[in-house]
Amino acid sequence: MIERHFMKLRARDEISAEEEQAIRAAVSEVRDYPADRTFIRSGEELNCSTLLLDGLMGRYKDLRNGERQISELHVAGDFADLHSFTLKHLDHNVMTLTPCHVALVPHDRLRAITEQYPHLTRVYWFTTNMDAAIHREWELSLGRRSALSRTANLLCELHVRLGLVGLADETGYDLALTQLELAECLGLTSVHVNRTLKELREQGAVDYRRGHVMLLDLDLLRRIAEFDPAYLYLDRRAR
Amino acid sequence: MARFYLHLHNRTGLVPDEEGTELPDLDAARQIAVDAIRDLISEEARSGLIDLRGYIEIAEESGKAAVRIAFSSAVDLHLGEASS
Repeated sequence: MIERHFMKLRARDEISAEEEQAIRAAVSEVRDYPADRTFIRSGEELNCSTLLLDGLMGRYKDLRNGERQISELHVAGDFADLHSFTLKHLDHNVMTLTPCHVALVPHDRLRAITEQYPHLTRVYWFTTNMDAAIHREWELSLGRRSALSRTANLLCELHVRLGLVGLADETGYDLALTQLELAECLGLTSVHVNRTLKELREQGAVDYRRGHVMLLDLDLLRRIAEFDPAYLYLDRRAR
Repeated sequence: MARFYLHLHNRTGLVPDEEGTELPDLDAARQIAVDAIRDLISEEARSGLIDLRGYIEIAEESGKAAVRIAFSSAVDLHLGEASS
């Protein structure tokens, strides 16, 4: 299932067979986590990075009263915490939102990759830059977009990201988020999310129910979202 | 823990909660409803129209009698000019 990681990378650059082999060899073990498991806690010392092979994860921070803000979602093929390689401990938590199949990549092996494969170093630098771009887009959503536009934007983003790894097509995609988890991505309450989804459905843009996003009119959804995929850097070029 | 459903009734019609939320008790559900109403009102305030005629109906999975939380009960309104 590590193929999805290569699909994500190869959408943006060429990865040679030798580079692919180096990445495959860097995996020390694969694990399965159940849903709703916080497997990285902020401040905890880390010596490996987690590559998500299958499932859905979120980065989040929370307040003492238990309110939680998810700051980015991770889909199959993403490193959830490549940045822990240089940070060594994170300022946020990472949790599974569905059952997840993951590969662990020890930091010492990542260090060897950075020393032996300068191009892969740039590719991975690029992917952490892309995470930052996603955070900026979410910041625009949380700070300025209406609830309707914000929700539409997230559904557009996931359509593109899941499509790159073969998990979405023009009709839609599976998304096993609860109302509450979606609310925690969008800075809304679950009732508000529910109402917003109903409005998107009534406008004929998208129907998201029971774990499946059915795209009714993608152009309309993108207009509601003011979605511009430029922040997902979909151009394939030498990095 | 029990599963509670928060159905929204307001000017946009009924928004049924098909998924529900696991909560310790009815008081927790009431608090979620009040937070949701304040969240909805804050979005309305940004658009310039606040409609307090709606309510959230809390239903328990067990089918016990539903409780209504009126939008108007979730906020205090101070109208008129501020005395400076």
